[in-house]
Amino acid sequence: MKDATGTRELTAGEQKIVEAYAALREALTAHRTELPPFAERSAVRAVAVLWQAMNGLDMDPGQVYHLGA
Amino acid sequence: MSDSPYWNPRHETMSRDELSALQTRKLKALVGWADANVPWQAKRLRDAGVTADSIASLDDLRRIPLMTRDDWMQGQLEQPPYGTNVAVDPSAAIRYHMTSGTTGKTPIRVLDGPKDWEWIAEMWCYGLWGFGVRPADTLFVAFGYATFIGFWGLHYAGEKIGCLVLPGGAMTTDQRVSTIVDMGATVVASTPTYALRMAQEAKAMGIDLAAGPVRRLILSGEPAGSIPATKKLIEEQWGAKAGDTAGMTELGTIMIFECERQPGGTHIIEDHYIEEVLDPDSGEPVPYGEMGERVVTSFGRGFIPVLRYRTRDFVVKVPGSTCPCGRTFDIYEGGIRGRVDDMKLVRGTNVYPRAVEAIIREHPEVDEFQIHLYTAEGIRDEIEILVEIPDPAVDADASVAAIGKELADTHEGLRFEVRRAEDGSLPRFELKAKRLVDERTVIGSEGERREANR
Repeated sequence: MKDATGTRELTAGEQKIVEAYAALREALTAHRTELPPFAERSAVRAVAVLWQAMNGLDMDPGQVYHLGA
Repeated sequence: MSDSPYWNPRHETMSRDELSALQTRKLKALVGWADANVPWQAKRLRDAGVTADSIASLDDLRRIPLMTRDDWMQGQLEQPPYGTNVAVDPSAAIRYHMTSGTTGKTPIRVLDGPKDWEWIAEMWCYGLWGFGVRPADTLFVAFGYATFIGFWGLHYAGEKIGCLVLPGGAMTTDQRVSTIVDMGATVVASTPTYALRMAQEAKAMGIDLAAGPVRRLILSGEPAGSIPATKKLIEEQWGAKAGDTAGMTELGTIMIFECERQPGGTHIIEDHYIEEVLDPDSGEPVPYGEMGERVVTSFGRGFIPVLRYRTRDFVVKVPGSTCPCGRTFDIYEGGIRGRVDDMKLVRGTNVYPRAVEAIIREHPEVDEFQIHLYTAEGIRDEIEILVEIPDPAVDADASVAAIGKELADTHEGLRFEVRRAEDGSLPRFELKAKRLVDERTVIGSEGERREANR
């Protein structure tokens, strides 16, 4: 997996963070209505936190306000 | 990697070409975001012929119109309370903050979403980590937690790093000193003024802070953190290294920090900001080493996009390579040098409060001071410096005379009347110090006269 510039290969640990971020976003878009409040709000908060890692890894995460984050 | 001296090792040490490419990519995204979500910004950008697709390099930055505080305030008047530069429905915000109001002006009001709020802490992490703060530290925050943004971001950055964070709100100064001592704080965050105030209080309480465990002071809120004499005084009184940082409510957090090597300036967090230095009159860029006005573009808070905002701060930018720390991020030599609005014209001579403080802090016997401007005999500007010199063992008259001479020597011979004030009579400050009192009824007795704005 490469970063958004297409020039750098992410390390294994960095890839795991990217996958976790993608999974959280997926949970909040495809499965949001299934989530109880504690899970939904925790996921929103986790997206806001992991966005910082995505940004620092040059994964160009864009804005996430539409997810509430 | 936890032993890295850098918070983001790759970004902080990348080549300038790589950094420019990163900034260009982020600028393109920011322009696209503002264009699509802020009608007020979209009109300005489109009127200037700027779209995201038209951003090919950092040279295109200069096609974006400058934004001023007046623009911001006008927007708040037209669309109260948050203004016309808001990209997201305010219901999505989790935080509201505002400027400190020390200038007496209507405050700037800002909102943050969850991601923005995390980003605000992230910026402080660059500063804390870069100055050597680590998970094992105990961080005391001497700050009245309220709507002024102040050290909020630092608080959460401390938690993020893994420090034990001690919130020091709603405490008297002696309670704060006691907590620092009792809890064994190793890092203290405060304004430079308040760091000195706590040191005075500790001395009065019979506590030797320099013999204690505090090893780092994180300073912010005033330019004094980069005034060498003030920093030296703080470091001596605390027996700790003092690192300067600076931020602004318009950004929500810091944009510059001093690294552990203490190069006499502050690194710009250039993977999250573009900082231009322009001639305040012509708007043209000034080269490295020359003083100009900071203009900031922020890639952080998306709720309120900041594109080419004129800060009114004076700075001198030098290359990052002037610091041995290995960061490629450029440096503001001497931190924030002052504000365009700070300059006072007294009998034809420019007087900057920072320059006055730099001289007074060379005299550690002065506990507190105030710069007082007034009109004498209805026509003439006068400037007096009130100083508190509480130590009876000090030859106060000699100090007063020396300060007056040094001030005159550095201000084209302008006469400063230096007078002793009664001990404890001058105001003390917890946040931004306001040591200049301008009570002139007319200003500029040697030049164009105008009514003072009182």
